[in-house]
Order: sequence, then structure tokens, then C-alpha cells
Amino acid sequence: MIFRAIIALMLLAALPAVAELPVVDISPGHTKTFLVIHPHHDDHSWVSGQAGLVTKLVDAGWTGYYVRVSNDEKDGPHGYPHDDMVNLFEAREATENLGIKDVISLNWRNDYMDPTPHNEIRAQLILLIRKYRPDLVTSYHPWGHYDRNPDHRKVAKAIGEGVWLAGFANVHPEHRKLGLKPHRVPYKFYSQRFDYGKGYEPNVVVELSESNIRRKARSFWVHRNVRLRGSTGRRMRQLLKDQGLAIPELDGLTDIEAHARMQEWSMYDAARKVGGEHGIEYGEIYAHLGEWHPWPGLRDHIDSNAVDK
Amino acid sequence: MTPSLHRIAAALLLAGLFLVYGSPAQADDDKVVLVITADASDYVLAAGGTIAKILDDGATGYLVRVTNDDKDSWELTPEETARRTREESEKAAKILGFKEVESLGYRAGELGGVSPTELRDRILFYVRLYKPSVMFIPNPYAEYVEVLDRFYVGQAAEDARRAASLSNYQPPFAVVGLETHVTPELYYYAQPFDPRRREPESTATFVPQPKIVAIASTFGKKLAAAQALKTINHSMAMRVKDRLETTGRRLPLLDEVDEVSVSKLVEINVRKLAEIAAQDTDHAQAEELHYAGVEYQIPTKYLQ
Amino acid sequence: MNTENMWLAVRAGVCRIVAVLCVASFYFPTLSGTSISPLPEGHVPPGKTLMVIQPHHDDHTWQYGFGGLIAKMTEAGYKGVYVRVSNDEKDGGMQNGWGANDISNYEDTLDATKNLGLGEVISLNWRNDHMSSIPHIELRDQIILLIRKHRPDVVMSYHPWGNYDRNPDHRKVSWAVGSAVWLAGFANVRRDHAKLGLEPYQVPHKYYSHRSDYGRGYHPNIFVELSEDDVARKAKSYRLHKIRVSAGAGKRTRELLDAKGLKIPALDGLSDEQAHERLQEMLMVWISKQRGQENGVPYAEVFYYMDEWHGVPGLSDYIQANVVER
Repeated sequence: MIFRAIIALMLLAALPAVAELPVVDISPGHTKTFLVIHPHHDDHSWVSGQAGLVTKLVDAGWTGYYVRVSNDEKDGPHGYPHDDMVNLFEAREATENLGIKDVISLNWRNDYMDPTPHNEIRAQLILLIRKYRPDLVTSYHPWGHYDRNPDHRKVAKAIGEGVWLAGFANVHPEHRKLGLKPHRVPYKFYSQRFDYGKGYEPNVVVELSESNIRRKARSFWVHRNVRLRGSTGRRMRQLLKDQGLAIPELDGLTDIEAHARMQEWSMYDAARKVGGEHGIEYGEIYAHLGEWHPWPGLRDHIDSNAVDK
Repeated sequence: MTPSLHRIAAALLLAGLFLVYGSPAQADDDKVVLVITADASDYVLAAGGTIAKILDDGATGYLVRVTNDDKDSWELTPEETARRTREESEKAAKILGFKEVESLGYRAGELGGVSPTELRDRILFYVRLYKPSVMFIPNPYAEYVEVLDRFYVGQAAEDARRAASLSNYQPPFAVVGLETHVTPELYYYAQPFDPRRREPESTATFVPQPKIVAIASTFGKKLAAAQALKTINHSMAMRVKDRLETTGRRLPLLDEVDEVSVSKLVEINVRKLAEIAAQDTDHAQAEELHYAGVEYQIPTKYLQ
Repeated sequence: MNTENMWLAVRAGVCRIVAVLCVASFYFPTLSGTSISPLPEGHVPPGKTLMVIQPHHDDHTWQYGFGGLIAKMTEAGYKGVYVRVSNDEKDGGMQNGWGANDISNYEDTLDATKNLGLGEVISLNWRNDHMSSIPHIELRDQIILLIRKHRPDVVMSYHPWGNYDRNPDHRKVSWAVGSAVWLAGFANVRRDHAKLGLEPYQVPHKYYSHRSDYGRGYHPNIFVELSEDDVARKAKSYRLHKIRVSAGAGKRTRELLDAKGLKIPALDGLSDEQAHERLQEMLMVWISKQRGQENGVPYAEVFYYMDEWHGVPGLSDYIQANVVER
């Protein structure tokens, strides 16, 4: 019995911790435009995405826009309208650092989005999709059921439907009066947190360079209102000191600069860990839905038989 | 009690038990199948073959189509789309063997704004009216299904099936003669968008289990029904073509988009879907479903 | 014509005249929002606390109330709270964005309500002009919590049955207030409040108002006499909301007067912006005077007043006739 258990354990240990995902090539794109659609000011730059992908697209010549769906009034210590304004300001700075061209804020009430009619948010997103005609949309995962944040669920659901319905002429036909034609978004990159619940199942990894990660790392802490605290920097240093330790790279930095540096390291660390699990140096993982996702029965045929015009 | 009375009592008890539990399975021509679908094509593509099998065996079928499909067309107004799709959906249902189609007329793509309890109670009405032995509903747990109408309808239908057995749901229904009803079997269907669709989330006691059904015998009917949905099929073909053209590609099959090429495209689609469902099985053509039967929510030890 | 026929003719004529008057009274008397005859006078009820619950920053003071009544009550010793239900993000230009409008309007509310003697502003910050989809019960329960906390003797708000109010925020908030003032008195409504030591509390005196210049208007049932000081404070509070003052409007008004060979001496020497401020104050004085004249006093505001026995109309007279001191 014990022998069998030992063998089983050895076999288990021999298995890779995570099955490697395919590294996705970024399609050349047709309009070479992408939209990053998120409920909050800082959702673009998490461990789970999407800042690295954004910089990769921008480096490849794509034009990107960030859509902030809520007003972020709850995120910060300054009171609703001040936090709205500060967070928007920092979103502009952070996304500009990634190469995003503009930030559009829809200003729905942060953490009060549940009663907002789904169709209303979706209608706004369809309008923007038809305006910018993105080849690629990236957002939270519409089927990320374990996301605790109600704004994430609400917005992701609206996107999950919007990216497809925007392609139907009879959905909001009034858009034609503005010269906006139907447009179905062909490529979707969805991400969500994977540290609780059943997690999520990404199907691709995006390979990133050091340059991509450097910009991602910086954009993370540019959201100073919510992500930088001198007190945290101070506390970390004290914790290390109590154990007779120090990090030389933090010498000469103020507490807030130290915290910024540590935030950057955490981004590098996460990207390196993901990359390591998939045979590359740095990575971000996504659930990628390709252009023929709506027709699973036709995908193979199209892939095999479509030719250049 | 004397031994002879014991025997009589035991015999009566056994007879009673036999009558209650030992009756032969419901004859198929007594069986009623109720299919709830968000749109005209989903149930055909995901479960049409399985449904046709049950109807071929003598069951009576009713279809409730919740939306009017008014968005799914190419260069037609919503009103014209709705009109055509209604006719075509009835034709498709007839091919599969349905007795009747009910179209609730909700606008396609707008179910996010409809009260879930309103949808549930509309469906509940039909459950109590038709008293089905088996229901087919869209699987609201399937992921990556961008047509959210299917999620809303699936969720409402699942709740309706449960609520139909409880008298404190819609007591006015009883006033008009719609009594409570328990539907013994439930199938969840979805097209294969979800890569984890074959993984049950838990045991049969707690969640419906994946079930793959061979459909070679009814594949022809399924295909014919799918091809009858001309407006939706034309819309699919044009959207595929449009995407290809926009990106500098073409599918020779769709160089001319007409009834012949669209029909062929549909055949390719339906065959491939059947092939995907049959993967890793002995079947040539199949459908993937999730099934909640009589043992659902009864712990295994009580079934033995 | 014989006497009998003459009498019949006179009777018919009188009936016709009465009918015409009835029709005229149906269509005409509410145009200015007042009833034809003076209203009964309302008095400041006994009490210590008042709560003004409105959707927007500036709803406490305009042509339709409540600034004068608030000033009168605080002068009489009432302490008061202003509850701003929305975030006012839409009230202002978009040069600086929604958040800036929220802040600016909120700060003006602090000034304007302080001028009327109110001690606190509570902002619920629901999204301005996006309130239709807020679940009624959510909003109502926030108000119930605040009512149980402050236990106001008086609540002022827009009329819950002001069906012709075009502003969706007004309708939404007044509807929530209309049920909250009553439901807050029931222990089984939000029993969890008891855990905070908040006892049930039913608001005894309600003063409602709304616009009367369209639809069927509304029918106030009391007037409240205001002093010159009340009106002066009301007038100032009106224009302390900077969104109501613009140099452009001041300039335009002067040009209009000038084109007719007229001017207002009180505006001499003032900048266009100051001139508009003064004009806005004059508007408040004028409307208060108008209401006063209709009711036989120098200055007034009119309201629909629901007293403490409104909820039991069959007992109201009996209670008032038989109640004694303990």
C-alpha cells in the first residue's frame, strides 16, 4: 500500500504543474484597432492581463482605446467625485504609458451597476464597437462566474454579447444614420482572476518581451491613488529589517518610491511565472475566441478551404 | 392477525407497490416532449437528432420558441425577418416531427432586459399545459455561448421546470385548470462552444451529467430541419463571407451565395457538429447533451 | 312669455352660465398653480428636526419652495438635514467632466443650505438622470435608515403624486420618500435597523411641492406666511447655486430691456454676473410676493401638507376632538 502510494506520488511529481498553452500569434488585423473595455480605471494592468498584450499590439502598429465603464467613485480615500476624477486622470496616464490613444469613460456608478439594465450598457458598447471597428477586444471573461466583483461580471456580460450583436444590422439600426455599419469583433481575448473558485481555463499564452513587461509594470503603479502607499513601503522595509534583511535596490528611495519598485517587481514576477509555465520568458494567459468561434461546425472547413481573394 | 390474513395483506401491499413503482415504462406514444429554445436554430443544431428520435418513437412534441429571431438576417428589416423565420421555424419543427410550435415573440437579443421571473412564468405555463415527460432546454451553464438569449432562456426554463411542480408558484394557474406537474427527465443542450462541455462539475446527485446520443438514424431529418431555416442560414453565410472578404479572403463555396451554396454550407456545419459530438465515442454522428434523469438528486446509495 | 316659462328660461340660463364657469374653472384656475380662493394658513408645527430630501443640489429653493419654509423653521429653532439623492453630474457643462460638476454642485449645496440654517448635507450620489433603473426599494430603504436615524418631525420633498413632473429623478425620489415616511414607522420593515438601535419612526408632518406650470399642475392645500428675512435668505440661497447664475444671462437681460428703452436701476454699477445674481434674487422675491398676494399676506409659499393623522382619515377628526394632555 505504502509502495503504491510512493509510486503514485512519484508519478504525480513527474507531471508538469500546468499543461503548456499554445503561444498565440497576434493576427495582422484588418483595421488594426483594438478596444480594452473594463469596468474600472486600473483593470487593464493586473497580473491577469492585459497591459502586456496592449503594448505588444501597439508595438505592432495597432491603435487602441480604453473604455472605462464605471466612474470609480468607490476606489480611493478622497470621496466619490474626487476619486472619480483622480482615477480617470491616472487611467489616462497609465494607458498612455502603454500606448493607448484615448480613454472613454461611461461613468456608470461604481459598485452599483447591478440594476443598470444590461441592454443599456451593451448599447453603449455596440455604438463604440461600430465607431472604432476593432479587430480585437480584450476584457474580463464573460463566463468568469467566480469573479466576486459585480462590476466585472456586469460589464463582461455586456461585452460577451455586444461583440457579436454589433454585427447584426437590425440591432440598433438607428446607428446607420450616423454612418456606422454593423461590425462583429473577430478576435476576443478574455481574462480573469484565477486565484479562487474554479479559476478559469485560458487557452493561449501571449509571449511578452522585457519591454512589454517594463511598461506594464510601470502602468500598474501609476494608479497611485489606489496602488501606492508610502506606509506600505515603510512597513515592508521594517518587516525586512526586523528579520535582519534589506533589499539593496531600495536604498536611497523614499518609501513611496520603494513601494513603486516593489509593485514593478511583482508584475515581473507574475509575468515570469506565467511565462515559465509555458516555455517562454514572460507571458500573459487568455481565453481566446477566434474569428470563427460562433460557427464551430464551419471552422475547420473555412480554415482548410478559404483562399486569398 | 392470522397467517392467511398476513398473506393477503402482503399481497395487497406488493400489488400496490407494483402499481405505483412497477408499472412498465411509459409507452412512447404517451410520452410528451417539450422543447424550449431561445431561437429557431439552436435546438436543431444542438439536439435536433435526439429529439427526432424520441418523436419517431411515438412521442408528441411541442416547441416553444421564445424569441422572434428578428435580428438574424442579412439586409432584411426586423419585421420581415421575424415573419420569415416564424414560417421557417414551423417548417423545421414539422420535419423533426413536432405537433405544434409556440412563438412567444420576444425580440431577439433583448432578453437581458426582460424580467427573469416573467420568462420563467411564461414557460411554466407550457410545462403545466403540456405535462411533458421530457424537456429539452438550452444549457445555461455552457460557457462561451455569445448568444446570451440562450442563457436567459435556459435559466428561466430550468427554473420553470422546478416551479411547475410547486403549487405556490402561480396559484392563478390552478384556477384555470393548470395543475402542478413534475417533469421526470430533462436534457440540457448547447452547441459545442464550451471546451469543457464534457466535464461534469460534480456527481449525478448534484448536477446533470454529460450524455452523448448517437443520431445516425435521424441525421437526415436534423439536416433537413436545419436547411429549412433559410433566413438564418443565409445570414450565417453572408456574415462568414463578409468577414472573409473584409480580410482579403474568399471561400470558393460562397463565391455565389444562393440556395445551393447556403444549403451546402449548412450541411458542412451540421455534419461537423455531429462529428465533434461523436469524438472519442464509437458513434459516427452524435449530439452532446447534459441529462438529468429520475436519479438526479437522489443519492447513489438509495438507488441501489 | 308667461311667468312659468320665464322662470324656466332663467333657470336654463343660470345652468348654462354655471356650466361654463365649471368648464372654465377646470381649464383655467391652475395655470398659475393656485386655487382661486386663499388657502388655509399653515403654521410651523411643534418639533425640533426637519429633513429635506431632494434629488438635486438646488431643489430646496426655487419657485416652488422650500427655501422660505426652511428659513422660517430654522428661525423657529428647528435643526435640519439636507439629503441630496443624486450626484448632480449632469448639471453643468462637460468641460471638466461629471466629477467636477458633482463637486461644484455639492459645494454650492453646502453654502446654500447653511444660509437657510440647515446643519448638514448628506449625499447619496445616485447617478443623476440615470435613476430610473434604481430598484425603488433600495432607494426607499436608504431614506428609511436616515429617517430612523434623525427622527425628523418634518420632511419636505417633491410631491410623490406629482405625476406631471417631467424630471425622472424628481419622480423617482419623491416616490421613494412617499412610502419611506410611512414605512419607517413599521418595526417589521427592515428589522435589521434595530441592531443599530434605530427604532421605528413615522414622520408626522410632510410638506410636498412640485411644479405647477404644466399638466394638471398640483393643488396645494396650505400657504405658509414668510417674513422679509425668510424671503431674503431664500433669495440668496437660490443664487448661491452658481449654475443658476451666468454673466451671459445678465447681459442678455440688459440688452432686452435696453431694446425696449427700459432699465432696472438696481442693476446699475453691477457686472453682468452680479446683475444676474440680483435678478435671480428678485425672482425669488417676486414669486414669494405673488403667492402672498394670492393668500392675503405679503409673502408666502404654498404646499401640499399631510399632517400626522393623514394615514387614518376616518379617525383624524375624532382624535383631534378628543385628545387630551397626559
